Amino acid sequence: MKNLLLTAFLSLAFLATANAGELFTAKGKTQGRVNHEMLYQDGCNTCHQGSPKANTTDAACVECHGTVETIEIDESILAVPEAHPHKSLHYNQGASCLACHSEHKKKAPICADCHRTWFHEM
Amino acid sequence: MQVIGGNSAINGGWLAIPQNPIQLAQGINDDSPEELVKDQIISGRGMQNANMLRTIANRSLDSYNLCIETGVKFREGFNIQVGGHNKARAIRTQHGTGADITTKLFEAGKKVGVEYRLQHYIEDFIMNGQEIIGVKVRKNYRFPDLKTGKTIYIKANKAVILAHGGFAQNMALRQVVDPSLDPTLDCTNAHGATGEVTLTAMANGALPVHMNLIQTGHWGSPDEGGFGWSNALLSIGWHQGAAISVLNGKRFMDERADRKTCSEAIMKNRYEDNSPAYPIVLFNYENYKDDDRVVRSLRDKMAWKLDTLDDVAKQFNIPVAELKQTIKQYNQHVIERKDPLFNRKMDTAEVLTGPFVVSRIWPKVHYCMGGLKTDLGGRVIDGRSMKPIKKMYAIGESTGGIHGEARLSSTSCLECLAMGIIVSETIKSDL
Repeated sequence: MKNLLLTAFLSLAFLATANAGELFTAKGKTQGRVNHEMLYQDGCNTCHQGSPKANTTDAACVECHGTVETIEIDESILAVPEAHPHKSLHYNQGASCLACHSEHKKKAPICADCHRTWFHEM
Repeated sequence: MQVIGGNSAINGGWLAIPQNPIQLAQGINDDSPEELVKDQIISGRGMQNANMLRTIANRSLDSYNLCIETGVKFREGFNIQVGGHNKARAIRTQHGTGADITTKLFEAGKKVGVEYRLQHYIEDFIMNGQEIIGVKVRKNYRFPDLKTGKTIYIKANKAVILAHGGFAQNMALRQVVDPSLDPTLDCTNAHGATGEVTLTAMANGALPVHMNLIQTGHWGSPDEGGFGWSNALLSIGWHQGAAISVLNGKRFMDERADRKTCSEAIMKNRYEDNSPAYPIVLFNYENYKDDDRVVRSLRDKMAWKLDTLDDVAKQFNIPVAELKQTIKQYNQHVIERKDPLFNRKMDTAEVLTGPFVVSRIWPKVHYCMGGLKTDLGGRVIDGRSMKPIKKMYAIGESTGGIHGEARLSSTSCLECLAMGIIVSETIKSDL
């Protein structure tokens, strides 16, 4: 049982690092990511600092998740080694989180503009 | 935009540098900036600005040194002759992308305190007569929704440098200036190449030139985004293979003709509703199966390995009897080393036996030779006075009239780097 729980925990942890959370209905028509579920209980301020209508910035992501250099990616699931999204040859540290990630709807990462078979919508 | 670098971050990382150290080590010591300009004048077909080209070429070694100083790495021992150049002078960055340069310049800028801001959209210029004094910006707008974000004003203490690239992704604008570029033509550019800042500059008096001179590459594939692998794959296909129309299973062009000739021939392949009937190019798999150009194309599914002509006909919906007849006739022409249909030079052609590597082709819009008129120091010219707009400068594809009818490969990175150096000097002298 302990092992099973440990496996379940590890696979969840694995999913969390490899992919963005799945979408769920957070409030009315607004969708959100399941790993952010607790944030919605506090309103929108955690990400939309100041006003719910103000666009969020990378600062809100980095506060909890760390920067593009520190967030771990499971390299075993990459289509090719060059497809490491947080070690992009094209942008390195010069990319906003929002170039690839979207909280309220599915989005294809910017890399998929050209490398269509390397990445999926998240 | 949401990333740094624009088109430079996704281009092929080719850089024409006369007298670069690799070229000299290869024993080529009769090249010079003037030799490069000579090639560009031929390609410009009388429409180029030779003095501007010379100004840029004269700073090519400075541009190379700037790269080396900021940590850019180039492929060791690699310096080749590319299209339209009379000398081997094109070097290439380590990973074959201009991002090897933009990421290093980004780091170098950060070190000296440059503040980079993503997701800021230039809405308008703030002018005081013929002087720019600031910009109106939508801060934190969410690309591509221009209604988002918050308006702020940024004062320009010293200068405003426009380096926003071309407009090849602006479908409406490109079709107005060149109606032959219909919406079926995809684009090699980053999505930000929409030219709004060019239009804003024009609205404030900046003179646009050569807007209808837009370069198209006939080597595109509809099965991948951006510039892609297709160009390199077709460097085999145009020589060792054949291009076939899916409409009738027949060849339709000299596969080795120039960009413009091939683009026009390819674009004639249309279904009755005018939608593209993407032609195919096929060549023998066995001889090239380990070639990186083939391996990555098959891996990324923009080309397919098919064993027989029946398989090819089935996958691309080509009349099979006609396809077989075409290949039979083509193989005879290969043996005879003569192409009575299109007069192609057949010295590199191979008898097609299968299995085949097959990809689809359709031209892509690639580069805008037109844009804002600048003087030799990079100052933007006002069309009404024909004098520079004070404190307004432009660099790279946002400018126009430099290359004339056709820009040569490996010269746009050079232009961006050299004009960056030159404009910084101009600003200092204008202050």
